[in-house]
Amino acid sequence: MKKFFAQCYIWLLLVILYAPIVFIGIFSFTESKVLGNWTGFSTKLYSNLFTGDMQGTGSLMSAIENTLLIALIAATVSTFLGTVAAIGIHNMRGRGKKAITFLNNIPMLNPDIITGVSLFLLFVFLHVSQGYVTVVLAHITFCTPYVVLSVLPKLTQMNPNIYEAALDLGATPFQALKKVLVPMLKPGMISGFILAFTMSLDDFAVTFFTRGTIGLDTLSTYIYTDARKGGLTPELRPLITLMFVGVLVLLIVINIRNIRNARKAEE
Amino acid sequence: MRIMTKRSTWALPYAIFLVLFVALPLVIIILYAFQDTSGSFTLANFAKFLNDPDAIGTFALSLEVAIENTIICILLGYPAAWILANKKLNRSAVTIVLFIMPMWINALMRTLATAELFHVMGIQLGKGTLLVGMVYDYLPFMIYPIYNILNKMDKSYAEAASDLGATPWQVFWKVQVPLSMPGIMSGVMMVFMPTVSTFAISEFLTNNKIKLFGTIIQENINSSMWNYGAALSLVMLVIIGITSLLQDNKKDVSGGIV
Amino acid sequence: MPEKLKNKMKRLLYMFAAALMLAGCSQGRDNILKVYNWADYIDEELLGEFEQWYKEQTGEDVTIIYQTFDINETMLSKIELGHEDYDVVCPSDYIIERMLKSDLILPIERDFGSTPNYLGNVSPYIQEKLEQIEGDGKNANDYCVGYMWGTVGLLYNPKYIDPQEVCSWDVLANPAYKGKVLVKDAFRDVYTSLLIALNKDEILSGRKDLESLTFDVSDESVEMVEEYINGFRESVAGWEADFGKEQMTKELAWLNLSWSGDAQWAMDEAAEIGLELDYAIPETGSSVWFDGWVIPKYAHNVKAARYFINFMCMPENAIRNMDMTGYVSVIGGDEVLEEMYDSDEYGPIDVSYFFGPQADSACVSPVLYPDGAIIERCGIMHDVGTEKLLRMWSRVKGDSASAWTYILIFLVFSGLIFAVIYKYTKNRIRQQRYAKKRRKRNQQKMSR
Repeated sequence: MKKFFAQCYIWLLLVILYAPIVFIGIFSFTESKVLGNWTGFSTKLYSNLFTGDMQGTGSLMSAIENTLLIALIAATVSTFLGTVAAIGIHNMRGRGKKAITFLNNIPMLNPDIITGVSLFLLFVFLHVSQGYVTVVLAHITFCTPYVVLSVLPKLTQMNPNIYEAALDLGATPFQALKKVLVPMLKPGMISGFILAFTMSLDDFAVTFFTRGTIGLDTLSTYIYTDARKGGLTPELRPLITLMFVGVLVLLIVINIRNIRNARKAEE
Repeated sequence: MRIMTKRSTWALPYAIFLVLFVALPLVIIILYAFQDTSGSFTLANFAKFLNDPDAIGTFALSLEVAIENTIICILLGYPAAWILANKKLNRSAVTIVLFIMPMWINALMRTLATAELFHVMGIQLGKGTLLVGMVYDYLPFMIYPIYNILNKMDKSYAEAASDLGATPWQVFWKVQVPLSMPGIMSGVMMVFMPTVSTFAISEFLTNNKIKLFGTIIQENINSSMWNYGAALSLVMLVIIGITSLLQDNKKDVSGGIV
Repeated sequence: MPEKLKNKMKRLLYMFAAALMLAGCSQGRDNILKVYNWADYIDEELLGEFEQWYKEQTGEDVTIIYQTFDINETMLSKIELGHEDYDVVCPSDYIIERMLKSDLILPIERDFGSTPNYLGNVSPYIQEKLEQIEGDGKNANDYCVGYMWGTVGLLYNPKYIDPQEVCSWDVLANPAYKGKVLVKDAFRDVYTSLLIALNKDEILSGRKDLESLTFDVSDESVEMVEEYINGFRESVAGWEADFGKEQMTKELAWLNLSWSGDAQWAMDEAAEIGLELDYAIPETGSSVWFDGWVIPKYAHNVKAARYFINFMCMPENAIRNMDMTGYVSVIGGDEVLEEMYDSDEYGPIDVSYFFGPQADSACVSPVLYPDGAIIERCGIMHDVGTEKLLRMWSRVKGDSASAWTYILIFLVFSGLIFAVIYKYTKNRIRQQRYAKKRRKRNQQKMSR
């Protein structure tokens, strides 16, 4: 009985939590311009989205491209930077380590708007004209800490002697890095990359402040501009639906195995 | 080659990067906050904030909304986290993922979907819809850290307490809640600060009737009142400092979802 | 790592490095024209055509860098504080006034050599309005060429609202439309329009004149307007920056205090889905606004900037910009009138003020070109009392902090402080007790 009520509560909460998005999902399958007005089943919005054939919103495709490219560059660079940094931090002691961990925590603690404003003022202060490059730099700034935090535990788990052994056996430091360290850190690097990639995809506030005035749009700033004009363009409904489904599938695949394994281990 | 072998120096590039893109920007915020437009030292920006009924009112209102949102999230989220972490009541991993998932989707998108739903249901946008929308946005951020800490919690404390004659109610208040306090605190951090600082979201949920503190910062920065905007950001940074003091730093319960 | 992925990553890194380098160096500035305009405010194909046209006319190459803004003040402070070298920008009336007063714009030389001068196409009505701009003795017509103009009025849905009613601003306060009213979040427009309307009788009787009213931010006037807005603020469903037109076409709102350009856009959009919307300027009075091209003091390429402005004044280009944006160009003359003429759609009205005497009964859209009788009761906005009006605006928009806000904040914070103190003293007491016990034990040991 107790279990029944508990499950009721959980599912009620989930239903309420997901109502808006399910609603958007349902109405992505009708052509009606006005949301909530069902004019018969149609996949026209989906095909419009993929062919880029929609009213006055040609720049949506370029916004999607920008989003993916920025996320890819930012995630790649921060994975590289973060991994190297993690190896360094792992081998540091004392005050230096404390200082760098403290700084590393700041972008994660700060609300987006503070990160955005502070970087905006930095670029203004340095007279850097804002655009693609500044957005990428900003994204690297808030992505790298997550990479560092994903790689560090792998270093602690690692046996430090293996790397030393490789050096002793005549490997150059670069070889040792490539053949020994990187393979062992790979799981941490991959999860750091994924984290950084999604962080970058999701970001709105930081991009908003660092994109300058050259008309650079990512998906989230595009949606923001569109929504300010009064509600979503119909073609954004299938886009939001697809993103939701995509993330849901990704998360379920990644997480469910972990959670099940953890539970089994516990029992 | 010597440099390569001393691996602690590998952190150097990142250290420089952090100083340039994390420390320096914060210093610049402070710098701008205490300057007027011509660059000389002044406290006028803070005086302006204290004398600006609009900014103060918005600030107070943001705190109110953030407090209410946090309380509602705790009240709704704690039982949910408790059920999710309790193996007798919930064995499904899917529900856990479903609660985590919204954290991975852009808040802006979820907000827009919510606002559209309110429109279609014919609900007048205002303070009420703002609160409901905020709870929608931030509930997962409260549930997740509490769930995490409850999940890791050693069950033997609760069992020992009830063996020693404590009622279930006492077990809950005297054992469970104090032990899950770090989770609640980190949930509060993840809900309270972002609520104060969001911009855009409150406008969409109230048809521009209510703006929160983040919006004021954004408006000032966007209309190039950098010094005043920086001063307002500094006010927010101080609040972040205070709230993070309340948090127990030793236990890291957030992060690491993948 | 698979070879393919590695290559891809390498390429991306190269791209990134290249982007960094590109940002570092700048091209030859003499052949660049930096245009800073409102977002969605031009037919962007014209930019490319201008480059070609400029080459034809002067034999010089030019490349346009086109940037956009959403708020006048953003643009202004970039020039005023940042000294950015935009060559041609498009501010609104009161900002032109401010820039003129603080010497931020250059006079526009009108000699184009062999190229025809199209600047004269600007309607006499707009030139007259520009003259009213207060520029410390300088005539704004020498410093600015108009671009788009419009009025402030009411966009309404005739299905719910009687067209008879919108002849007065009082319709905003009608309780039947509670929660269905949107108001443009533009304090200067709302203030000026309402102030003129509220002083209708004074203007008619000659006690006040319209022009002096547009400078009036006296306490009584501000109070009068504030009181009037408070009379209808209960009905307001939202203060829209840009979303009014969309919510009107979706019938979420029935009445929208808006700009004529937005209204036209909404009416076209609504017509497509078979919904009828209409726009009216209350007969009691309202305000007109316009945006115009100016060349900032820090401009680098003044010549190309002048030609750009000239190019925008060609009637065919003006018409294309109108089609694209929905706003009304300031260009008058027969060519534009002919394009706008549609006797099937519209009844004859008097637009001679704009197109000249031959247009005293022309069949054009009254939304785009209001009847002369209405225009007579519309003033332009001036750059006065910004702080005062902003303060009034944030008061009437309300929904700010209430007593409950402060009580709640006080309760929570005192609760927090109490909790911290409680915890602290509890620990202290416990420590003291331990200390006492220890002392006792030590004493016992000693005595033994």
